[in-house]
Amino acid sequence: MMHFKKILTILLSLILMISITACGNPSEATTQESMRVETAKDSVVIAIGSEPETLDPTQGWGHGNSPIVQSTLVKYTADLTFENDLATDYTLSPDGLTWTFIIRDDAYFTDGEKVTAADIAFTLETAKAARGSIDLTYMESAVAQDDTTVVVTLTQPTSIFLNTLASVGIVPEHAYDENYGMNPVGSGPYQLVEWMPQEQILFQVNETYYGDIPAIKNVTVVFMSEDAALAAVLAGEVDASYSTATLGTTEVDGYHIEAIPSADNRGFTLPVLPNEGKTTPSGASIGNDVTCNLEIRQAIAYGIDRQQVADIVLNGFGRPAYSENDGMPWNNPEVVIETNVPYAKQLLADAGWEDTDGDGIVEKNGLKAEFSCIYPSGDSVRQAVAVAAAEQVKALGIQINVEGISWDEIMQRMFSDAVMMGWGSAIPNETYYLYRSDGALADDFYNPEGYMSDVTDRYLDAALAALTVEEANENWKKAQWDGMTGTSMQGECPWVWIVNLDHVTYVRDGLFIGEQPIHGHGHGLPLIQNLQEWAWEKH
Amino acid sequence: MKVQRRSINSRTKVVSLSIIIAVSLAFVYMFGILIPDGTAAGSFLNAKQPPSWEHLFGTDALGRDLFLRTLKGLSVSMTIGLAASLISAVIAVFVGIMAASGSKYADAFVNWIIDLVMSVPHTILIILISFALGRGLKGLLIGISATHWCSLARLIRSEVLQLRTQQYVAVSRKLGKSEGWIMTHHLLPHLIPQFFVGLVLMLPHAILHEASISFLGFGLSPEQPAIGIILSESMRYLSAGMWWLAVLPGLVLVLIVLLVDQLGEQLRMIIDPYSAQR
Repeated sequence: MMHFKKILTILLSLILMISITACGNPSEATTQESMRVETAKDSVVIAIGSEPETLDPTQGWGHGNSPIVQSTLVKYTADLTFENDLATDYTLSPDGLTWTFIIRDDAYFTDGEKVTAADIAFTLETAKAARGSIDLTYMESAVAQDDTTVVVTLTQPTSIFLNTLASVGIVPEHAYDENYGMNPVGSGPYQLVEWMPQEQILFQVNETYYGDIPAIKNVTVVFMSEDAALAAVLAGEVDASYSTATLGTTEVDGYHIEAIPSADNRGFTLPVLPNEGKTTPSGASIGNDVTCNLEIRQAIAYGIDRQQVADIVLNGFGRPAYSENDGMPWNNPEVVIETNVPYAKQLLADAGWEDTDGDGIVEKNGLKAEFSCIYPSGDSVRQAVAVAAAEQVKALGIQINVEGISWDEIMQRMFSDAVMMGWGSAIPNETYYLYRSDGALADDFYNPEGYMSDVTDRYLDAALAALTVEEANENWKKAQWDGMTGTSMQGECPWVWIVNLDHVTYVRDGLFIGEQPIHGHGHGLPLIQNLQEWAWEKH
Repeated sequence: MKVQRRSINSRTKVVSLSIIIAVSLAFVYMFGILIPDGTAAGSFLNAKQPPSWEHLFGTDALGRDLFLRTLKGLSVSMTIGLAASLISAVIAVFVGIMAASGSKYADAFVNWIIDLVMSVPHTILIILISFALGRGLKGLLIGISATHWCSLARLIRSEVLQLRTQQYVAVSRKLGKSEGWIMTHHLLPHLIPQFFVGLVLMLPHAILHEASISFLGFGLSPEQPAIGIILSESMRYLSAGMWWLAVLPGLVLVLIVLLVDQLGEQLRMIIDPYSAQR
């Protein structure tokens, strides 16, 4: 009989579930661990979550991270300043439009050809033409003057040019075609050995690399779901593995957990415009009559106990977030605010919000302080952060209804509802995209709240056009808070930032994974950007 | 005498068993319905607690009480299951009668449709329909209703075919009674037991399908406390050792489905003339 079969199936799957949980028992893992064949101490196996789409830097490989297979003109240090890589020197003309780079003459591609200025010009022109995730629209031209000098002309002074260069790996003009992304030739510390799509990538050290030869000679990067990665750690099959705040509570013998700080942030976007019946070109309704009030947005900002959310929802694998770029050199330290529930209540009371009908929600002129917060269903971290924050905000008399919907529906509702959104990048131009008036209410998720401010635009433009990194950082900071106004929570508060997620990583005892720079958004990929610093402890 | 007494006993037993099952199902259902929406909410401060006296089934990752949520979810699943099987059973009766009393072509056509629907695995068909109709409650209801009527329709068709060859139907026809009169006075009364037994036996299928489609993410939204949602949420935390999230609601689902199935079997024993007198 059909139904009995079904019931039997359910029963069996339940038994299976129970037995899977039983496999999570650490003692069992230890026996498997001891059975593991001892791997040679100059290789690592790393589990990450998402496979790169391409290894072609002009198409977006390495964006925001170091490209490993290729080398770059300049590179980030762990504290996100710049040091020379392929370049030995560079100068900028006083008008901020012409960059001249001198490159080293001892760099070779892995096919034996020398890296020349022509390759660099070719790479930049190709990346500009590709119009991929690398924005080089402000570049007029890149020209090789001789073998070691390349001159780049910009249409406007652009302070983030060095940031962009730090993630554009140089490709060889002589070995570049449409298949380059699958078999790259580069001058970086590693070279590609084999790429099995959806399974793994094998890298081998580049013995002709001009810099320090890395201690780890062979690298296997496997792609795994969160559960599979944890299972692989329990079985002792991988040396380093990405994980999540939820799964990272599992203690595994022979491994330690590194919680790497990231700018991978989560927070509410709050529509700053009132609902006047307007719609975007795609027909989505604009504005929210509750969140358009500054006192509501700020009350939420001050009413949330971020540390508590990080400790409980993220199991401690996270830290309070106060802006889109906490900890970066272009972050304004003044944006940090203290949780202050009485102050938040005062803000509401001063503006005339009062609970007159005793239902625990404040009203003003008959309008209840209640709105929806949407998040992509299936993202359990966003759901948990939103629910926890909503619970804290309820104490102020503001009701946030948390709703999980699809990205398609979010596209339609993000201009009129709060969204549990996430950003985070190692390049300051993200601040520009998030807050510029021109980008308001566009479909790109950067500025769905409709934030527009002439003051902010002036600082953002000044930051972009700055001639020095210091001057740029100064203006990035002023965009956040200049003492009067800004994009931060004590300013106009279009975002209420809540937490920065730590990138939880299982690392086998004895493996040193270098000084990890603050990670950008990504499922394990940022982990491997400093592979050349990794090493096994000497016995 | 002895034989007769025993038969009375067994019938009483069957009837009382059915009543007990029906009452306990109704109790669970009512309990779930009567829980106000916010009760299970809890606080994220006591999330991820294993079962205790305070929280019988423990709490989930958002601090919601899993026992209340499971009951609420069961009532949601049972409502959807009941509605879907009711629609399905009505479709089955119509289609079955149409096949049996219409033309040869209608019969061939209906049989062809039944074969077609039954040849596609239910789950896939429901996912397709639910997805095409924009997921959510509506898609799920229509999806389940549109796939579960086939076997009952077949049963009713053969029942009607058999009834139409009965002498009293032939007599009625000779006496000049219309098709409609024969239908309402001779056919439908005989079909009522089939209808109810079929309905109850369809219910566990519908509940399980609702749960599995929601589990796969093609059904209800994650805020609905449906049992499939609870189970699919639990999968993320299984590797972290939070077994109670899946096991306890899963067991309750199995229990309810078994109970409903038993109820159907008992009902059949009472109503079906072949087994009722045994």
